[in-house]
Amino acid sequence: MRGLEDSVLVQGAGGLWQQATTAKFLDAISDGTLPKEAFNRWLVQDYHFADGLTVFQALAVAKAPRQFRRPLVAGLNALEAELEWFEAQARVRGLDLGAPMNEVCRRYTNFLVRVAYSEPVPVLLATLFGVEASYLAAWSSLEATGPYSEFIERWSNAGFQEYVKSLRALTESNLHAENQRHFNEVLAQERDFWRMT
Amino acid sequence: MLHDALWQENRDIADACLRQPFVRGLGKGSLDSAIFRQYVAQDAFFLHAFARAYALAAARSGDTETLSTFCGLLNGVWKELQLHAAYSRDLNIDTGDVTPNPATTAYTDSLLATAWHCELGVTIAAMTPCMRLYGYLGNELAKNPRAGNPYQEWIATYSSADFGELVLRLETLLDKLARDTSAVRGAYRYAMQCELNFFSAVTEDNL
Repeated sequence: MRGLEDSVLVQGAGGLWQQATTAKFLDAISDGTLPKEAFNRWLVQDYHFADGLTVFQALAVAKAPRQFRRPLVAGLNALEAELEWFEAQARVRGLDLGAPMNEVCRRYTNFLVRVAYSEPVPVLLATLFGVEASYLAAWSSLEATGPYSEFIERWSNAGFQEYVKSLRALTESNLHAENQRHFNEVLAQERDFWRMT
Repeated sequence: MLHDALWQENRDIADACLRQPFVRGLGKGSLDSAIFRQYVAQDAFFLHAFARAYALAAARSGDTETLSTFCGLLNGVWKELQLHAAYSRDLNIDTGDVTPNPATTAYTDSLLATAWHCELGVTIAAMTPCMRLYGYLGNELAKNPRAGNPYQEWIATYSSADFGELVLRLETLLDKLARDTSAVRGAYRYAMQCELNFFSAVTEDNL
């Protein structure tokens, strides 16, 4: 997505940014060749991830000072709506949301929950910016056509773009020496998430 | 007793750890010293997280007896870190400057996320495998002592009555505070798997 490449954190991540935002899985979604079963398996893991991210976000809201809270609260609301959307998808597609969490997903959510409790607010903001910016960039690079167009549109829409912009602004006004390390760790987790089997 | 049921349920992983090349190398005394150096560094990083998890558990204690037990266990892990400090001086390792490998990070993130976020019984279930497994490995290796084994001190530490006492105290707390739930069983098994991955990672990193 245009507008993120000039972020200091994106530039500081070097090749990790590209690895976190491109994958064969995404290519197969783009050209419509990804088998439905593979997409469904990924959807269940993404639901588990969204559930873990909700814990992270709730803690970030609780820790953030008043002036930073508005976009975080809006994001938390959006996550709740997202979980409900996943649950509706599960009913339509016959997915078992109780299926075990994949090891990669488990590592990612454990990382987020540990960071949410133990790191200061600026690091939480950089971490969240990494999660959302990379996800937006990954989906925005795909053309919204074919059998998965609904999902491509969902995760690259204007509202999501605005949210990521607000997270970037918050992150850039709250610099911290640990931001780049955590941003990079998020990208490494994103890279692995697209590649989990 | 819950602690025994959990241990029996996970004996497959405990035995896989016993068969792991790193552990066999410790027992025979044939382990490459470079691998042991890597292990000491990674384990020191892990034990700092383990100490923090004990401290978080202590803070959540609902009664003085539980608080006192966690303080004693924290003291035990601190002594273990001193053992590492002694190894580290001999091996010229800076345990304050360790880059954790992915298996170590997966374990410490899981442990700390659990200790911060979950109920006390689940935290204890996530912490017990490390203690019980090390006691088991120490005692199994001690059954076949090898003269001149450079890793004899490691084996002696984890097969000692003092360490066994710490294991017993933690398992007693597990029985007192953990319920037999899927969260408790899942936390215990995941920690066991992390232990196996931990041994595998330090071996693979040096092959």
